Amino acid sequence: MELFSVKNLSFTYAGQTLPALRNINLDILSGEFVTVFGESGSSKTTLLKMLKPQLSPRGEQSGEIFFKGNKISELNNLESASKIGFIAQNPEAQLVTDKVYSELSFGLENLGKSRESIRAEVAEFASYFGLADDFERSVNELSGGEKQLLNLASVMAMNPEVLLLDEPTSMLDPISAMKFITALKRINDELGTTVIIVEHRLSELLSISDRAVYIEDGEVKACGNVGDVCAAVKGKRIEKTLPAVVRVFNKLGLSGELPLTVRDGRKILLKNNIECKNNSDKEINTDTVLSAKNLWFRYNRSDRDVLKCFSFSLRKGEIYALLGANGSGKSTVLWALSGRVKPYRGKVRCSERLAVFPQNPRDLFVKESIEEDFKSINNSYKELCERFNLTDLLSRHPYDLSGGELQRAALVKVLLTQPQILLLDEPTKGLDFAAKEELGAFLREITDVSIVVVTHDLEFAAAFCDRCGLLFDGSITSENSARAFFTGNSFYTTQTARLTRGIVDGAVTVEDIYEA
Amino acid sequence: MIKTLHPLTLFCYFVSVITVSVVTLNPAILGVGFVGAALFLALEKGKTALKQIAFSVILVVIIAVTNPIFSHNGATILFFIDDNRVTLEALYYGASSGLMISSVILWFSCFSALFDSERIIYLTGRAFPKLGLVLSMILGLVPRLLRDFKSINAALKTIEKRRLRRYLGAFSALITRSMEDAIVTADSMRARGYGQKGRTFYSRFRFTALDFSLIIVFAALLALSLVFTSDVNFYPNFSLTITPAGFAAFVILSLLPAVIKLKEGIGWSFSLSKI
Repeated sequence: MELFSVKNLSFTYAGQTLPALRNINLDILSGEFVTVFGESGSSKTTLLKMLKPQLSPRGEQSGEIFFKGNKISELNNLESASKIGFIAQNPEAQLVTDKVYSELSFGLENLGKSRESIRAEVAEFASYFGLADDFERSVNELSGGEKQLLNLASVMAMNPEVLLLDEPTSMLDPISAMKFITALKRINDELGTTVIIVEHRLSELLSISDRAVYIEDGEVKACGNVGDVCAAVKGKRIEKTLPAVVRVFNKLGLSGELPLTVRDGRKILLKNNIECKNNSDKEINTDTVLSAKNLWFRYNRSDRDVLKCFSFSLRKGEIYALLGANGSGKSTVLWALSGRVKPYRGKVRCSERLAVFPQNPRDLFVKESIEEDFKSINNSYKELCERFNLTDLLSRHPYDLSGGELQRAALVKVLLTQPQILLLDEPTKGLDFAAKEELGAFLREITDVSIVVVTHDLEFAAAFCDRCGLLFDGSITSENSARAFFTGNSFYTTQTARLTRGIVDGAVTVEDIYEA
Repeated sequence: MIKTLHPLTLFCYFVSVITVSVVTLNPAILGVGFVGAALFLALEKGKTALKQIAFSVILVVIIAVTNPIFSHNGATILFFIDDNRVTLEALYYGASSGLMISSVILWFSCFSALFDSERIIYLTGRAFPKLGLVLSMILGLVPRLLRDFKSINAALKTIEKRRLRRYLGAFSALITRSMEDAIVTADSMRARGYGQKGRTFYSRFRFTALDFSLIIVFAALLALSLVFTSDVNFYPNFSLTITPAGFAAFVILSLLPAVIKLKEGIGWSFSLSKI
């Protein structure tokens, strides 16, 4: 049965002339797992919000949306609140209350359920989602991934028939993102709840989706099974967001069914001849600009050591990627290198001017427009803005910029202080593929600055960094040039490297591979 | 066991004991209340309570010593300062008022030791559901704002060296940001059906038969203490009468939590010794 049926839907935001959505026709069946993707600004979020009456934007609409055969506009408020669940991007701002249990019961209270039935339903869902131990905790103690799982659980507690998710994993690290997607898959499998997810991180999603929908400029350009949609976007810019397996397959022009997992991809590659471009590593200057020797650090006298005999050196002009799992102390390293925290043993030597690029670039902006923010540092911003494509955006309020634009503006603001060393904390968090590529290219361009990037993003590190180090248990356990690092690791490496391991040597990114 | 009681029961207890404490200046009654509150606080919070108790004792002494400086009534003259009499009765009066203030402060400390945010939100939410939700939202928001302020401040550190300007900038950025986030929160509330009529209030507390009987006991003890009052007169001569029924009722009322706590402690160590 069709759960949602969108018929000839067009939509124009109030006060705008160009339509955001154009003539959309889409049927979603009950129990389906559907992934919607498209470039930033393609109105995929608008489409998702149109399916949730409480969040529908204002503007001019033509065409109709049906929910279970009835017009969605005629659905009563209680029904649409409970039957259609919505989860947004920001895990923290979505939380309403202070405790885990009160967050779980929030929706049920709104529905006017009795205390006894809330008690029963909350208990059921807390057990199902493994939140029973966290029940009494304050929501502020949870990690980003746990917060997003709590949002999922609180929506699920209302027992919706369909979940609409707007880039729910874009602010999570890869491990938490994987956990979240696994939970979604489980809900879909075990409860039969329909899932419609808009996302730009597709690697893990496509292999579990029943269908994919590709949206471009407010139109559905491709819709159908995952393989067909992936084939349909071949050659477009968006192809870069597809899993490496798919891209390798597309690039080599192999025929047959499209592989979506590393396992299937390897089976196909083993039957074909491929080779790897032999990129030689960039020559690296051996002058050290920043070094740390045998650092030991802990936050409190009674805590455990976060840095244990940590040694590190940064060479002039290189981009160094510091990788590691959550809680391995990556951010602590940045703070120790920048002097924000003092190790109790060991020494940091820094010969140049240093700047830190914070995890949340919004933190850097305090004025009404980005131009004022730049002016507050010095007046030579014009040239940098030209280089970073910001000239047209100067009068905008920092919060009106898109994720990628804000990142660029923040980079300009930091560069205005004329640092010779730049430390970046998770710069790719929340960026879509295009913005990531752009950021990588800019970092490559500023060759006079030596850069340390702390990141979870292995694909980014492989594509743009010169050297990589793995932080584990408070010190760097392996360190090498990016290529050697990723081909040497078996698990903690890019999808391309996992795909080609033992088949061809030295391939780290999709660009490295070509047909023999 | 005390924490397993319903918030309403605990609330009734503190209302009764604090009511009796503020309507009398009888040092015997106030002394009993002071001891009861101090004992319970020490048993509940352990070492950290000792500082608080020491402070209350000092407060009693300070008020007792300062009262004779301002009040010169009373028949028993101890000595003169300049031409002003310092009387024993004024000293007694000061000590009694000090006891009253200190014991009420201690009772409030006991109250806040038992009432975590969940119980407070429950009590307000029961009476005013919307206010209960607002309280819960504030309690979630404040730690987040503090953390964000720190992170903005840290981000600006390498850029803006002047501390005051940095703080001001960070503060204004914090306001803008929280307004931005509030839109997402509002959407999330609406998406989950907030704003409908007939919103209920969920709590994890259960009102049991014990709660019911305890509230009746508290009411009875309160009534006894208020009806059979023990009189006290300070001026011109100090005189103290004790009405056994009312006094006994208040002794039971104020020592009850400490006794339950003690018994519980003994019970625990007894059951542990059997393991």
